[in-house]
Amino acid sequence: MNIHIKYDSSDFSLNIKETAEICFKCGVCCVVKGHSCHAQYDDQFNPKYTFVYDCLGTDEPSNNPNIWLCVSCHKCEEICPYDVSPVKFIEAIKAQSFEKGNIHPVLFGELEQISSTGYAFPLTRASERRRNNLGLGPLGDLAANDVKNISERTGLLIKLKNIKEGVD
Amino acid sequence: MKFSLFRGCFIPVRLPHIESISIKILEDLGVEFQIVDEFSCCPEPVAFLNDKLTGLAIAARNISIAEEMGHDILTLCNGCSYSLMHANELLKTNEDLREKVNDVLSVTDHYFKGTIEVKHFAKVIYEDIGLDTLKKHLEKPLTGINVATHTGCHIISPPEIMRFDNPIDPIILDKMVSVLGEKAIDYDLKNLCCGWTLTNFGNRESASKLIGEKLGSMRSAGADCITVICPQCFYQFDTGQFLAQRSMQLNFKLPVFFYLQLLALTMGYSLDDIGYKDHRVKEPSLEEKLGRFLD
Repeated sequence: MNIHIKYDSSDFSLNIKETAEICFKCGVCCVVKGHSCHAQYDDQFNPKYTFVYDCLGTDEPSNNPNIWLCVSCHKCEEICPYDVSPVKFIEAIKAQSFEKGNIHPVLFGELEQISSTGYAFPLTRASERRRNNLGLGPLGDLAANDVKNISERTGLLIKLKNIKEGVD
Repeated sequence: MKFSLFRGCFIPVRLPHIESISIKILEDLGVEFQIVDEFSCCPEPVAFLNDKLTGLAIAARNISIAEEMGHDILTLCNGCSYSLMHANELLKTNEDLREKVNDVLSVTDHYFKGTIEVKHFAKVIYEDIGLDTLKKHLEKPLTGINVATHTGCHIISPPEIMRFDNPIDPIILDKMVSVLGEKAIDYDLKNLCCGWTLTNFGNRESASKLIGEKLGSMRSAGADCITVICPQCFYQFDTGQFLAQRSMQLNFKLPVFFYLQLLALTMGYSLDDIGYKDHRVKEPSLEEKLGRFLD
């Protein structure tokens, strides 16, 4: 009898990064204190949990809210003994999640703020006062139009609007 | 080489006292630079990894502005360096991507050519100015102060792009501290992240636990204070420490200094000049210790 092993083309982990297959779940990426993922401090997440159990073991890893704890510090990549590079995997999952319209609310706020003003943080009156007291010039809005136009051209603005309005 | 100074968002908005002293110190060191008001956010790497084309185009716009002025870019932040250096490297080496990004950029008056470099100020001090030359600018070496260095994550990894120090065992900031007369202490959790994302995207208790353990490790090794080269790390060790004081019941305080603040003290500036009054975490015993050198 012939045995056929078929890789499903929709297999998420294979589509994103083939090297995911060589991860043998040693957990080094999350257990070496001081040299691995800082998210090990969060009760809900570590790369082993998300990367191995969620990404390789569930159908919808991009729905896992804990993927947003990854700051792309690359420590997991530096320490992985098999060059699996969990960070690239997690970044790809995040991008896929965003593509589907899901994103952490703080990151949504940042994208909205930057694409509309050119700055990641709103300039408050208190900041302006402090700058003025230090003899620093005001922060203008010379970049705002360009950043808005770029975000419109790439489709980011409409995407953010759709997410906000709950449009698929 | 003259630089376009990339101030970023976090320093100008949240930590203007660091912008102020950084500008003075860079001028004192003879670094030629111009403040560029046309720059936008770098953009923030964690947010724009989710929409890489927009992120690359915004970074490319910033780089192209410096290109038009014939300058390299000088940054004050690990995150800005990460975003801009990634974009610069990717767009210089990938022609298809460069065309795609320049097509997006056509809605502006800018065009990415790939002719300049992006440098973090620590790299400029360590490699371009050099520690021997730096020594000549020092008036008041702070001998006897123990400093815990925290280099931060995004400036050292991935090393093939960031090209600054060893990502597993960073030592350049220690050398930069030692040249000021202080002792850079070694501690167990030296390479642990500051926990910025836990504060923003996780729960605050986890961030406080991380900060508490890291500070405890620094304290056990005899640190009097901390130094960093990234504004987000600064904020974590200052405001984050302030918040962790209560939840972790820490019985000590470790003030944090942006490296250029520490350098300023050795160059004759006072605690008032560097904006120490705006710090959340202050420690009278350290102020007294510093006072012996600064008065």
